[in-house]
Amino acid sequence: MAEFSWDVRSPLDRALIAGSYGAQGDAGVSLTEIRNFDLVQVMARRGKAGEMAKAAQARVGMAAPETPKAVDTADATLIWSGPEQFLVLSKGGRHSIEALGSVFAGSALLSDQSHARALISISGDKARTMLAKLSSIDLHPDVFGVGAAAATSMDHTSVTLWRGKDLADGQAVFNLLVFATFAESLWHTILDSAAEYGVTVGHSEELA
Amino acid sequence: MRIVCPFCGERELGEFTYLGDAKPKRPAADAGEDAVYDYVYLRDNVAGPMTEHWYHGGGCRAWLKVTRNTLTHEISAVEPAAGAGAAKVGA
Repeated sequence: MAEFSWDVRSPLDRALIAGSYGAQGDAGVSLTEIRNFDLVQVMARRGKAGEMAKAAQARVGMAAPETPKAVDTADATLIWSGPEQFLVLSKGGRHSIEALGSVFAGSALLSDQSHARALISISGDKARTMLAKLSSIDLHPDVFGVGAAAATSMDHTSVTLWRGKDLADGQAVFNLLVFATFAESLWHTILDSAAEYGVTVGHSEELA
Repeated sequence: MRIVCPFCGERELGEFTYLGDAKPKRPAADAGEDAVYDYVYLRDNVAGPMTEHWYHGGGCRAWLKVTRNTLTHEISAVEPAAGAGAAKVGA
């Protein structure tokens, strides 16, 4: 009988081939898939939102966002995902579900989403224009600034969208978490939407 | 049509799913067959303002209680349904 050999790989492993696509010349959109992250969903137990907030503050030195925002701490990002719930995004097991279990014991319910979502980072001169085709969210810098977040839908697919820190050249960075099983479909939609501006595609192990 | 989600802000209709009238209340266990029949099957056909349950499934996944005028689609109030956001609102 064949032995099972579990091979950990990205949900975009097949769809993502690094390189340049679409219009020739300077790429207007840059798509980077971030791989191998730790992602934990934290949801307050009924009536324990205050305790959950205190636990988060004690653990990462930052209050969990109570409105659609993403906040960066020294080694994690807390992303609002709904009323009294947020996601903890980090690297290297520092805030994995094993590490957070005792922190939120009694105040919140945790669910490991590390292998359940794909993380796509979108930047470039035309990133906003491209995203406007897919999203009904107002992404104007005055409205959707650095640290703004939204639980929304793109191409009928639920996504968590937030604006990360700007790049060194001042370009905006939009981060997108999508369910792993929908990642390939949304990836193709994004690539098609970006083709007219020229796209650079790659993947990285570093959180943006 | 757009709905202003109390958690997310103004969003397009496509992010929401309609459940129906928010008025029917589950009758007590000993309320009798007529009350249960009424609760399960009978609905008012409201022409004017009506409270409805909507689900923000394409966003924050909260249940909302929306007051909508069925004649004009004007939405006069949106609030979290009981239980939304774990503890924010009472029953």
